[in-house]
Amino acid sequence: MTLVEKILARASGRTRVEPGEVVVADVDLILLHDLSGYLTARVFEEKVRLPLRYPERVVMVFDHHFSPPTEEGARLLEENRAFARRYGIRLFDCGHGNLHNVAVWAGLVRPGMVVVGSDSHTPVHGALGCFAAALGNDAHAALGFPYGKAWFRVPHTVRIELEGTSGPGVTPRDVALWLAATIGEGGAIYKALEFDGPYLRQLGFWDRWLFPLITVDVGAKCGYIEPDEVTETFLRSVLQEPYEVVRGDPDREYEAVWRYEVSGLDPQVACPPTVGNVKPVKEVAGVPIQWAELGGHGGCRIEDIRLAARILAGRRKHPHVKLNIVPSSRAVFTQALREGLVEILHEAGATWFPPSAGSNQAINMGAMAAGETMVSTHSRNFPGRNGSPQAKMYLASALTVAASAVAGCIADPREFL
Amino acid sequence: MRFRGRCWKFGDYIPTDQIVPSHLVYRPMTEIVRHVLVNVNPEFPERVQPGDIVVAGKHFGQSSGRAIAAKAIQATGVACVVAESFARTFYRNAFEIGLAILECPGISEAVREGDILDVELETGWVRNESTGRVLRGKPTPPFLLEMLRAGGLIPFAPRLLGEGGKA
Repeated sequence: MTLVEKILARASGRTRVEPGEVVVADVDLILLHDLSGYLTARVFEEKVRLPLRYPERVVMVFDHHFSPPTEEGARLLEENRAFARRYGIRLFDCGHGNLHNVAVWAGLVRPGMVVVGSDSHTPVHGALGCFAAALGNDAHAALGFPYGKAWFRVPHTVRIELEGTSGPGVTPRDVALWLAATIGEGGAIYKALEFDGPYLRQLGFWDRWLFPLITVDVGAKCGYIEPDEVTETFLRSVLQEPYEVVRGDPDREYEAVWRYEVSGLDPQVACPPTVGNVKPVKEVAGVPIQWAELGGHGGCRIEDIRLAARILAGRRKHPHVKLNIVPSSRAVFTQALREGLVEILHEAGATWFPPSAGSNQAINMGAMAAGETMVSTHSRNFPGRNGSPQAKMYLASALTVAASAVAGCIADPREFL
Repeated sequence: MRFRGRCWKFGDYIPTDQIVPSHLVYRPMTEIVRHVLVNVNPEFPERVQPGDIVVAGKHFGQSSGRAIAAKAIQATGVACVVAESFARTFYRNAFEIGLAILECPGISEAVREGDILDVELETGWVRNESTGRVLRGKPTPPFLLEMLRAGGLIPFAPRLLGEGGKA
């Protein structure tokens, strides 16, 4: 069995499961943010009306708000706080960072877990060797909250092998953007994606994180990386308690093995209107921008801040560009302070924002008027997600975001290194 | 489960952000329903009738996995959504909230806006009554049909768990 099959078998009390079977599994962790938490709580209290069975397995993080700009937002957060108190759910209030990063840094995610959440990037926790999937509000309200369970159709597993070495100025995010487009939106519907290969294995934990992050874009159910020494070294830095690593059997079977060569790739940019519209940066260089942002579920890790500082040290952002830095967690901000990166980016004209989900969905920041354009490390570029449907969002690496902020238009970071 | 109705046609890769704009998701459904898909087709929320069928292209309902997108389409009275393919979060949400949907490769080029369609979930057959053309979509798995007939996951949950965790 693959890692995912083994986890689902254990969680549903079976010795084995086959792809295609429907199982009801025990859930170890339900992750909710301020938006999904609110909607889930409403369904649970209005339509289900049962006790919440395992409050210790539910976590809520306020990440789309860091300081509500409207009374409506303030009321939503107050209702969430009351809900969390009523059921004894652990709450990370405004300012902690974005949901997935907060959960990992707090040591709440461990290998072998069944992790679910309404946020569509929940599969990112496969980076720790979990089965992690995005379910809707009604799934948590109907089964997760009252019974600690969820139903799943066991996915077929596809192994993805990444080979080669990326060139200068080409970061793991460029490779991940390119991979999402190469597999295609909806190109791996309901698959479990096992990411591996020499390129992936030489990356650090937070760079590997970017690969399970794209599973939602290609339509996969989940993505994961079999834990190794890199994973365990990271886990020991955030976890005191013992944990058990689950790995696939040596004779595990895949539906397919897809191999990709990353050598020779250029820096990549996902252009509007969808995440699959990815082009080499040279094809979009020169597009004027007004906004640049490091942030998002996969963005503004310490790695991103370091990359941006390589370009911004001793330079100034273009006068027409607003450059937002939104750390993914407090731990990342602390590290940036220690390394002197906060000052470097500040002196370059950047504005630091509280740890949060930043401009994602433009709830607390990041709305654009028709005709405005942003380049960011976010994960989504669909029209209407950041204010006007006539505004444009481009997704790129931290190097490309920083280079573009200096140039005032989308720019090839290799010209700045 | 069989549905017959007039079709509204949409393109590929429609994200949930365009089904329900982000800034509206916390508003009452009576308000949301007036904005469903409005940025894609401004006439849709104004003129959609109960029993109509939505036809869409590839990976319908991608982006955020919010169930409110499926709920908003349901609230317009649309009987069924037929698409080339669905984002998995949307697909699951639809059955869990009791909205009938069918995956039917080839549907986009087989229908025009306003055609009358006859859709059967069990077999996956889609008949375009306006042109006489017949397509075979993907038959809906019995487990999901059962959930749909029950009215969604909330009413279905006791039966699902009552069978010893085996569905």
